Amino acid sequence: MFNLPILPMLILIPILGIIFVLMSVEEENTKAAKRSALWTSIINFLLSLYIPINFDQTIPHFQFVNSFSWFNNENLKFSLGVDGISLPFIVLSTFLIPLCIFFMWENKKNKIKLYLSSFLLIESFLIGAFSAIDLFSFYIFFESILIPMYMIIGVWGGERRIYSAYKFFLYTFLGSVLMLVAIIFLYQEFGTTEIPKILNFNLPFYIQIWLWLAFFSSFAVKIPMWPFHTWLPDAHVEAPTEGSVILAAILLKLGGYGFIRFNLSILPDASIFFTPFIYFLSTVAVIYTSFVALVQTDIKKLIAYSSVAHMGFVTIGIFSANIQGIHGAILQMVSHGLISAALFFSIGSIYDRYHTKNIAFFSGLKTIMPKLAFFFLIFSLGSIGFPGTSGFVAEFLTLLAVFSKSTIIAFFAAFGIILAAAYMLNLYKKIFLGEINNQVLKVNSDLKINEILIFSSLVFLIIFLGIKPNFLLNFSTSSIERIITLYPISIF
Amino acid sequence: MIILPEIFLSLSVLALLLVGPFIRKKGHVIIGYLVLLVLIISQFFIFKNIFQFEPIFNGFFVIDSFGSFMKCLLLIGTTVVIYMYLTVNKDNSINQIEFPILILISLIGMMFMVSSNDILSLFLSIELQSLALYILVAFSKEEENSSEAGVKYFVIGSISTCIFLFGASLIYGFFGTTNFTEISEVLGQTREISLFLIIGVVFVLVSLSLKVSAAPFHMWTPDVYQGSPTIITAFLSVVPKVAVFAVIIRFLVFPFGEINVDWGRIIIILSICSMVVGSFGALFQSDLKRLFAYSTINHVGFMLIGLVPGSEDGIIAISIYLILYLIMNTGVFLIILNLRIDERNVTSIKDLSGYSNNNFFMAVCMAIFVFSMAGIPPLSGFLGKLIILNVAIDNNLFYLAIIGVVSSVIAAFYYLRIVKLMFFDKTNDELDKDVNIESKVLLSVLSFLNISILFFPEFFLDLSASITFSLFAVN
Repeated sequence: MFNLPILPMLILIPILGIIFVLMSVEEENTKAAKRSALWTSIINFLLSLYIPINFDQTIPHFQFVNSFSWFNNENLKFSLGVDGISLPFIVLSTFLIPLCIFFMWENKKNKIKLYLSSFLLIESFLIGAFSAIDLFSFYIFFESILIPMYMIIGVWGGERRIYSAYKFFLYTFLGSVLMLVAIIFLYQEFGTTEIPKILNFNLPFYIQIWLWLAFFSSFAVKIPMWPFHTWLPDAHVEAPTEGSVILAAILLKLGGYGFIRFNLSILPDASIFFTPFIYFLSTVAVIYTSFVALVQTDIKKLIAYSSVAHMGFVTIGIFSANIQGIHGAILQMVSHGLISAALFFSIGSIYDRYHTKNIAFFSGLKTIMPKLAFFFLIFSLGSIGFPGTSGFVAEFLTLLAVFSKSTIIAFFAAFGIILAAAYMLNLYKKIFLGEINNQVLKVNSDLKINEILIFSSLVFLIIFLGIKPNFLLNFSTSSIERIITLYPISIF
Repeated sequence: MIILPEIFLSLSVLALLLVGPFIRKKGHVIIGYLVLLVLIISQFFIFKNIFQFEPIFNGFFVIDSFGSFMKCLLLIGTTVVIYMYLTVNKDNSINQIEFPILILISLIGMMFMVSSNDILSLFLSIELQSLALYILVAFSKEEENSSEAGVKYFVIGSISTCIFLFGASLIYGFFGTTNFTEISEVLGQTREISLFLIIGVVFVLVSLSLKVSAAPFHMWTPDVYQGSPTIITAFLSVVPKVAVFAVIIRFLVFPFGEINVDWGRIIIILSICSMVVGSFGALFQSDLKRLFAYSTINHVGFMLIGLVPGSEDGIIAISIYLILYLIMNTGVFLIILNLRIDERNVTSIKDLSGYSNNNFFMAVCMAIFVFSMAGIPPLSGFLGKLIILNVAIDNNLFYLAIIGVVSSVIAAFYYLRIVKLMFFDKTNDELDKDVNIESKVLLSVLSFLNISILFFPEFFLDLSASITFSLFAVN
């Protein structure tokens, strides 16, 4: 097999695409710009499939490694590589970006070129962040995403977009600068920032504690954990549909990915020390945000709070630190990536027609939009964790993992699933079922062809991963085993 | 002819002053282009012997690669400012032949400053650059507060001079000499350090902090920045900062490197104050020039972190930060110079409202510069932040590093405010939309540098490593 520098290509192609988008002809419906953006992202998606096809599942180490010299320093490089933990996220990113661009195919937006460029830029940075195997390159990509996301929320967002954009930016920025200090400290301590090398070192416990907290401050805001989650509902409500999709489906996953990659792998002793703390925060997140979701009047806000609850499962799974737990966490992240993307797309479809996201406005929508009602039901069931969807497998694995550690936590976390059923089914009932009201009747158009294509592909993946989760999990098994074997045995 | 650049510049000033009055029309333009030519030629002279080391005039001055490098930065900064003066200036009252020549005189003072190796020569050259700057600040008749700013700057400058002389006399009293090389030798043999020596050093340091606008000696900065003609604000915020930073580095690291612990504490205080004042002060400013004055104070505080350990790494970090700072600040001021309503310069922050609809290219460039100032990757401001923090953590100055990053988050708020105004808000239709090609070319170059330096930092790292080496080789 010839050796393709696949990761640098995946990062650079969207950047090239931006040049095409910016140079495209000014048209009335701006199809040219959209077309070039869509083709770029589709090409990138097809190329990214090269990674899972040629990925050797038995090797726990990084594959497809590419290094570029930086700072003229042997130990400070721009390194990219993939292992079983980052692979699902890279493919998830490249898969969702074309969907986002395809979803806005018919929409009219001002400054469309800037909008499309922001998405391509985010794609490039995301792939960089997931594939970086050097702390500095990770940080650079991780932080860079703030700029295009700030623009997306601020320029094309709703009424309170400016407040939300500020909040999003400053919250995440404050979290991650502390991580920068920790990264520089690690560099000083070890003389290298390459993750594979750092894994072999061991730090004293009291230093690990501080470093763990620094990394935690960054990822806990990003994922987000209770009580650092307050930026998320604001950002979601105000962001445009495609922005919410990217935010919920991929950006949040950077937090979970960071927890596995850094907190768990590099700082195992501190991770054990803080496990009860994480369990506590996650359980509170699951229960509390589910209750908050129950009383929301805005559809997007409800889904945003449900995201926080789902991420609570992820952190529980990760810090259970056994193979089912991390499998469950990764699957939960991927499945939440698909399901929340699907839900936000559905809300986007509703919003495009009715220009409101208020739950009380809707009633009996299924008579007007039967196709959407069908898809939305599947997505809601997926979000609840209904057997047959990917969400079920993920939550089952997570609960299984945490059950072996702590029965109480497992009990409360399982309670969260019931609450999820309560708020999701309630939402479905209020919007789609019931008497049809006059306001809903004003619009009479079901899903368009591009929306149906997007929804069907998501439905297919959600059910496929629900039936055959091993297709995804096999990729990460050996990488997880490597982390687990380095992990000291905990008493908790 | 090792001080050829300075001699050439001085002679050119005299020649230009003689020629100037005989040009009838557009004297300032012709003189301006001649000054540009002079600057480029002297740049070549400096490049020719950039790696030489030689004390001259009995050790009154020293020519070394550190000084030559700083001179290169000064010349580049001045060249850009003169270029902006020739292409985008709309303030007619500063279109006089004296204006570019005064900039040149100030530049000569700064070039002597960075290579002075004696307290007396340092004092003389500081005075030369300051006197020219006082006039430049008060030059404009169109800016409302120009004269006020000039007087303020003059008064503060005089106080700074007094403090400097007092500190210098204390130092002379201890050593019996004013030469840096001799001071360094005597200090190396001294066991007990008199308290008065420390006080003397601190006094000189305070005077220099006044010049570099490090808090708590920053009070004049916002007023003077706001009052002076925008060209001079651009000049003030970049070129004298580089020169005074070079002087502070040379003064502290070379003769007083031995008592690093003593002045290190002072620098820590200055640094923390500057970062705090710089980040909080700018939050509610309504004038762009004032806002960037506070932003400068914040950056100065950040750069001072690199000076605390007095080590080679720190100086390398500061040199790189100065380069990046020069790129970002000239870019920002070039855009401010292009903000016009009815052919008149405006500097209120509200005028930027909806700038992306007026002029997309300029708005994107401005966004690149301010995001870079906030230190967000992948822009080059992050590189500066990274290497300075690296120095801080290397020397176990964790609290400084954490104060630094937190202040940068607070500072990000006002940088974001600029981006918000430009991209999120309603368009300000009064703003003139045309931008000449000269500014676009310069902006493209600066933005390109700003984006690419983070990925190719080797050139600048090697360069600053090789120049700081000379500073420590002497010791």
